Amino acid sequence: MLTAAAAILVIVAINPAWTQGTPFGAPHHDAGIMPQSGLMAWIFAKQAAFYRSLSGFIRASKDDGAAIWGLFGISFLYGVFHAVGPGHGKAVISSYLVANEETWRRGVVLSFVSAGLQSVVAIVVVAIAAVLLGATAKAIGLTVRVVETVSYVLVILIGLRLLFVKGRGFLIACRELISRPSGEATASSSGEANTVHRHDHGHNATTTRCEHSHDGGDAHHVHGHRGHDHHCHDHGDHDHDSHDHHASAWGHAHGPEPAELAGAGGWHRGLSTVIAVGLRPCSGAIIVLIFALAQDLFWTGTAATLIMGLGTAITVAAIATVAVSARTVASRIAKARSGFGMLLMRAIEVGAAGLIVAFGALLLGGYMASEQLWMFTG
Amino acid sequence: MMKRTGCCAFAALLLSLSIANADAHPHVWVTLHSEVLYSADGTMTGVRHAWTFDDMFSAYALQGIAHARKGQYTREELASLAEVNVTSLKEYDYFTYARADGKKLKFSDATDYWLEFKNAALTLHFTLPLKASATAKAMQIEIYDPTIFVDFEFAKDKPTLLSGAPPQCLITADLPHQPTPAEQLRLSQLDNVPLEASSTYGEIFANKILVKCP
Repeated sequence: MLTAAAAILVIVAINPAWTQGTPFGAPHHDAGIMPQSGLMAWIFAKQAAFYRSLSGFIRASKDDGAAIWGLFGISFLYGVFHAVGPGHGKAVISSYLVANEETWRRGVVLSFVSAGLQSVVAIVVVAIAAVLLGATAKAIGLTVRVVETVSYVLVILIGLRLLFVKGRGFLIACRELISRPSGEATASSSGEANTVHRHDHGHNATTTRCEHSHDGGDAHHVHGHRGHDHHCHDHGDHDHDSHDHHASAWGHAHGPEPAELAGAGGWHRGLSTVIAVGLRPCSGAIIVLIFALAQDLFWTGTAATLIMGLGTAITVAAIATVAVSARTVASRIAKARSGFGMLLMRAIEVGAAGLIVAFGALLLGGYMASEQLWMFTG
Repeated sequence: MMKRTGCCAFAALLLSLSIANADAHPHVWVTLHSEVLYSADGTMTGVRHAWTFDDMFSAYALQGIAHARKGQYTREELASLAEVNVTSLKEYDYFTYARADGKKLKFSDATDYWLEFKNAALTLHFTLPLKASATAKAMQIEIYDPTIFVDFEFAKDKPTLLSGAPPQCLITADLPHQPTPAEQLRLSQLDNVPLEASSTYGEIFANKILVKCP
């Protein structure tokens, strides 16, 4: 009963528009499933309608200065609704936050940065390819496809790496749970962890071991290849920052500088995730930009794209916040029962890491399936 | 109990993340005019389509196409794009499926194709000749994208025409039904759980042309 209530609460929290009901007034065949599909139908219809009205607003804004506010409003709504769909990184970012015990504040920042990056990538692709080079739709389509594929592969790689790291954490928690009743829990666990620690060092110089001070060495987080994911709760570990700076190879290559994400806790830890997610430009944004360009309204299109990104960010941030809250609740419950509780948390982290891989694979697969996006343009 | 609650809440969260995936399916909108062609001997020989793309997709497709006068494209300037269009449409059977009294008919490659740019939209004109001309009491021509990537919609005014058919033949255009909630749910998941290439799911949303010759 309680579980069911909690499940419903979570779903309602994610889908705030639930209460809107079905717009088509279509009959509900099955009370259990239909509210969900009614909501989906509603979102589906709304966002297609917003998308289709964008062109009219862009054209109107040419002669009518006031129409530009309508365009911005519709762009914002389109972003909010469209982000419910795949490819906007909400699932990847949420899973990442859950796997890494991140705070909701970081979740919000990561969501905004990745959505902003998505808009900027779309703008840059169109600015370079269409405005400067006069490339055809075919060439732009190919460019987007390549960028998309890189983005999805990065997501899979990040997921695999997390899966590896969290899988070890889980195994260690498992072993400790087994060895705990023997009475020499502390000694044996630190022995285990040290072994792992040394083993890791063999592969990778940046590996760090963190301990939960509150748990008597119950769980050791073993951290993987790249520093930005290090996250000891209570650490005063000075080495971290220097690790982080050299570690994020992808981050330094393409993304915003760590300083842009800087906050109290070193925002750059999630950089690779933000970049993997943000690299992929929304094809809708590209088409809107090119349409605006054809009307000699490229700057209007640019503003609309950025506002769309703002809408997207809000949806992604909202979902990420729910994910982080669910994790916090689960971890509070887990802490009340050490041993199995910690094991459960490690298992959730492994699950979340696995989901990132799955989402990446789905997106990559989806990309294969939607190749026909460019069917009329070659 | 508490632990199970947290766990289940979490599972529910992940589940909703994976379910809540509505995307902009379809991605391209086409308004169609179709003419069913008959020869002098009263047999059907093919279909002549005029498909108008939505303005945003039109602008996208026109990107980078060289043209002499700003905002205008001649048939010649659009010839190579029209070529690309029909070549790629062939892979999708031109989204056109015909049956003579229930029996499937086959089309040859498109002929007489050209693009027209008018009112900020591209219109693709092309003829699909039947491999073998056919006669039937009830001829059915369906236009749909099985994967619902392209949304086809009959034009508001005179969507269908009969050309050269025997006088007793009547043509009607049947609009697809509004999707039911269950169908909408499936539609909303298309990007995450795409239809297989062989799927004919879109058929239930087909635009149907019926020619009855009693």
